[in-house]
Amino acid sequence: MNQRAKMKNILYILSLLVCTIGYAQDPNALLKKIDQNMYTKTKVSTTKMIVYGKRKTKEIVSKGYTRGTKDSFSEYLSPAREKGTKMLKLDDKLWIYSPSSDRTIQISGHMLRQSVNGSDMSYEDMMQEKKLVDMYTPKITGQEEMNGEQCYILELNAKTENVTYQKIKMWVDINHTVPMRQDLFAKSGQLLKTINMSDIRKVGDRYYPFKMNYKDVLKDGKGTDFVVLEMENNVEIPDHIFNKSNLKK
Amino acid sequence: MLEFLFKGLIRDKSRSVLPVIVVALGVSLSVFFVGYMKGMIGDVVDQNARFNTGHVKVMSRAYVQNISQKPLDLSLLDAEVLIKDLKHQYPEMNWVKRINFGGILDVPDENGQTKTQGIAGGIALDLSENSIDKERMKLGNNLIRGTLPKGAYQIILGEGLAKRMNVNIGDKITFFGSTMDGAMSFQNFTLAGTVSFGTSVLDDRTFIIDINDAEQVLDMVDAAQEILGFLPNDVYDESKIETIKNDFNTKMSVETDEFTPEILALKDQAGLRYMLDIANISTSLFSTLFIIAMSIVLWNTGLLGGLRRYTEFGIRIAMGESKKAIYKSLILESIIIGLIGAVIGTLLGLGLTYYLQEVGIDISDMMSQNSMIISNVIRAKVVPQQLWIGFIPGVVATLLGALLSGRGIFKRQTSQLFNELGV
Amino acid sequence: MIQDLLLNFKLAYKNIISAGLRTWLTITTLAFAFLLILFFNSLYTGWEYQGVKDQIDWEFADGQIIYKEFDKNDPFTIESGHHQMIKNENIAPVLIRQGNLYPQGRMLPIAIKGIPANQSIVKLPTHLFHESKEEFPVIIGEAMATNNHLKKGDKILLRWKDKNGTFDAKQITIVGIFHTNVPTIDMGQIWMDIDLLWKMTGLEKEASYHIVKGNYNHELKSQWRFESQQDLLKDFISMVEMKKGSSAFLYIILMFIALIAIFDSQVFSVFKRQKEIGTYIALGFTKKRVTLLLTIEGAMYAILATIIGSLISIPLISWLGVEGVTLSSKEQSQQMGITIGEKLYPMLTSKLLFSSIFWIILLSTIVSYLPVRKIAKMNTVDALKGKK
Repeated sequence: MNQRAKMKNILYILSLLVCTIGYAQDPNALLKKIDQNMYTKTKVSTTKMIVYGKRKTKEIVSKGYTRGTKDSFSEYLSPAREKGTKMLKLDDKLWIYSPSSDRTIQISGHMLRQSVNGSDMSYEDMMQEKKLVDMYTPKITGQEEMNGEQCYILELNAKTENVTYQKIKMWVDINHTVPMRQDLFAKSGQLLKTINMSDIRKVGDRYYPFKMNYKDVLKDGKGTDFVVLEMENNVEIPDHIFNKSNLKK
Repeated sequence: MLEFLFKGLIRDKSRSVLPVIVVALGVSLSVFFVGYMKGMIGDVVDQNARFNTGHVKVMSRAYVQNISQKPLDLSLLDAEVLIKDLKHQYPEMNWVKRINFGGILDVPDENGQTKTQGIAGGIALDLSENSIDKERMKLGNNLIRGTLPKGAYQIILGEGLAKRMNVNIGDKITFFGSTMDGAMSFQNFTLAGTVSFGTSVLDDRTFIIDINDAEQVLDMVDAAQEILGFLPNDVYDESKIETIKNDFNTKMSVETDEFTPEILALKDQAGLRYMLDIANISTSLFSTLFIIAMSIVLWNTGLLGGLRRYTEFGIRIAMGESKKAIYKSLILESIIIGLIGAVIGTLLGLGLTYYLQEVGIDISDMMSQNSMIISNVIRAKVVPQQLWIGFIPGVVATLLGALLSGRGIFKRQTSQLFNELGV
Repeated sequence: MIQDLLLNFKLAYKNIISAGLRTWLTITTLAFAFLLILFFNSLYTGWEYQGVKDQIDWEFADGQIIYKEFDKNDPFTIESGHHQMIKNENIAPVLIRQGNLYPQGRMLPIAIKGIPANQSIVKLPTHLFHESKEEFPVIIGEAMATNNHLKKGDKILLRWKDKNGTFDAKQITIVGIFHTNVPTIDMGQIWMDIDLLWKMTGLEKEASYHIVKGNYNHELKSQWRFESQQDLLKDFISMVEMKKGSSAFLYIILMFIALIAIFDSQVFSVFKRQKEIGTYIALGFTKKRVTLLLTIEGAMYAILATIIGSLISIPLISWLGVEGVTLSSKEQSQQMGITIGEKLYPMLTSKLLFSSIFWIILLSTIVSYLPVRKIAKMNTVDALKGKK
């Protein structure tokens, strides 16, 4: 390594140091902590999804079971129309069961692009549930207040090629290590989606945002709200819940 | 005088029967031709009206803006009130709801697993027993297999689609799509029958279900994507339609909401205005040319009728009748023949037109193609114009022929005419 | 014998011409029917020709080599319906991907089609990709533009996924709006340089199908199937033939009128010219020959009419074949997915011309013969006297 390069390296490390000293944080550790907060071994929650239509606002309540990052099962509780509809995600496969037709249909390919219940979220958005640490290289770029909390600004760049969003900008609550806002970008740098969180609550020993607004910035409208009504972490979930045959029950 | 001429005409068959037959034939053809041309345009209008545009179509303003995408979420709400209001304001019209939507059809195997799957476009209309709209779409005539839906949640597929999805009558098909406001929607249907629409684009992608089923499936109870209006007996009348459209839209013009209902006339949709204008011009052109041609033929007949009687005129002059009197009788005769022929011809032509209007000639058999909804039947249309149009070639041309041939009486010397007696 | 026949023709010609106005009226009617028949048939032939030509020019070329898993009628097959392209200078690869356009805050699912910018196999103005200085130049068809309120120069956001499923989005610029009569390459899609699409998606050298120019004789690997031009055009041609058939009705009516005119003249001839007929027989003509002569007279109407009709219709239809006849509207054809121009260019083929001439003369001859059959039954003396 020649002198100049060395010099550059030192400067780089120094600048990093300045930043890290400022926030006393290692971005990777921070990311790990976020993952820890967001993804628990198991999670059981009841969530209300509020879809703001052009003329009508729709509320859908569902109960969800999550195991790790890969498996999840949810059942719609209301409104009456959707009641009993179940969704099972195992790894990269997604099935939907409808009680009225007593059919289970796998959502794949083209259909994954469809919006879930008219919300700003598509099926494929739901599929991305890998741990952030595994997918992104984080960098802390600053600090600012976001949604009422003092936050680090985190820039995540994809490590591997097969991620849905190449880049994520994340505002992380310094006190609870919970994301307060995420901006999801396309490969080109175009902002695609914005997720705003609020109402941080403690569940067991973790913190979790109980309110979330998911917005497709390319589309008109107010986006879609998710409100957690109840949440339990690390409870025992029997294996049969994540079995395809459970859909038909 | 007239009585005398009549007697002459009736007694001399060559003077009456043949010319009358020719005139009647010519007139009936002219009358029929007009009906046939109108029927051709009517066919285009009809097909579009039946399938897509109605005579008028009521939609929300926002929907009209994005009409090519047929967005369900911009449908009209409180449709029942609106339809009631439409029925009250324009009682002569038949108002029906239609829904165009898309989704996925999924055919299960015996274990309930997906066997085949395909994207398809649906049309929902009233398929109930006494539905006028069902008759209008002529689905029954174009069934390839099976029957029309007789109960709830039965479905008809385009034959091409059915083949591609490898389904048979009685099979279960699950529709998977989104409701009007984007919620997931599942529904099982039973395949009742398959139809052919005549173009592969429609055959390969279209399915039809009952409007009530669609309203449940798409969560559109009391909502309407499109309300189609038809004039009595589905007879298209442009001026009536324009009146209704303008009347309704004027009443609505005070509203500012983007979901205010708006009427588009048939001509405002799918580029039909331009096409119909052109079609109208060209058919009147062809009809005119046809009438001219027919007139030439009948003129010829009239001319012949006069010419063949020169010998007779010779005798009559020899017997002391004046040339003028002979000319007059010739013309009067031709008018009588023309009138009789024209009346018979018009009746014949109207009858033929009416037959083709009601029954039509199905050329699909000749074409060795499957029956199709689109244009497989030659149809004519009875129009008021047919009542008088035949009299132009019938009476006027025959008269003109007689007038011309009669000139000979004056041109020729009496002796010459007499000579044509040939004795 | 031949001389006899020629004499008959000469005589027949003289006879009918000397009848003056009457003859000309009959001929006019017949010529008019002939003209209309030619016109309508040419119109359909022109449509068929134009439609076939348009589809060849714009979409099918000399055939397509399609990936087995790809079915253009089934959008499900787009996602994985592609394979490493075949390298050959006479074929152009086309790759289809799915994406969303976002004009004015709405989401519009579309097909993105990539095609080489330097191709000249189909008429798509792909050269615009290279001529444009824009980063993401695309071209769209007129129908796509009108339906979605887009115009040249517009920049719209396009979102797509690359081969790994990663979202990408860019402003695309509409650098050209092409005018085509083929709705299947127009509605609900955008066209861009295949190099760019490969780069955007990471699907380097992949194609859903190829458009072939000329004969492609190379062995195909089992992943590909070849559809010839004729296979691809089959549906369209059978539809035009159907339409052609339905207009046959019109010709029947027209011919009917013209034949009435001939029939009428013949009845008159037999009646009026008994003396003349008697004279012919007295001169040594056999009855058969007189019948033949009068039949030829009737046929002569048709011959003259077809000559006159041809003299008018050939230049007229040729002229209209250049100028075009406006009969349909674009939106209509788009709706039905049928290739039809706003202007139809009638096309008169020699086959059509000669077969029409043949039929008109044949039918006229038959119709002319019917009334003159009577001659055979005539008593020569009575005929000479001019009596029945």
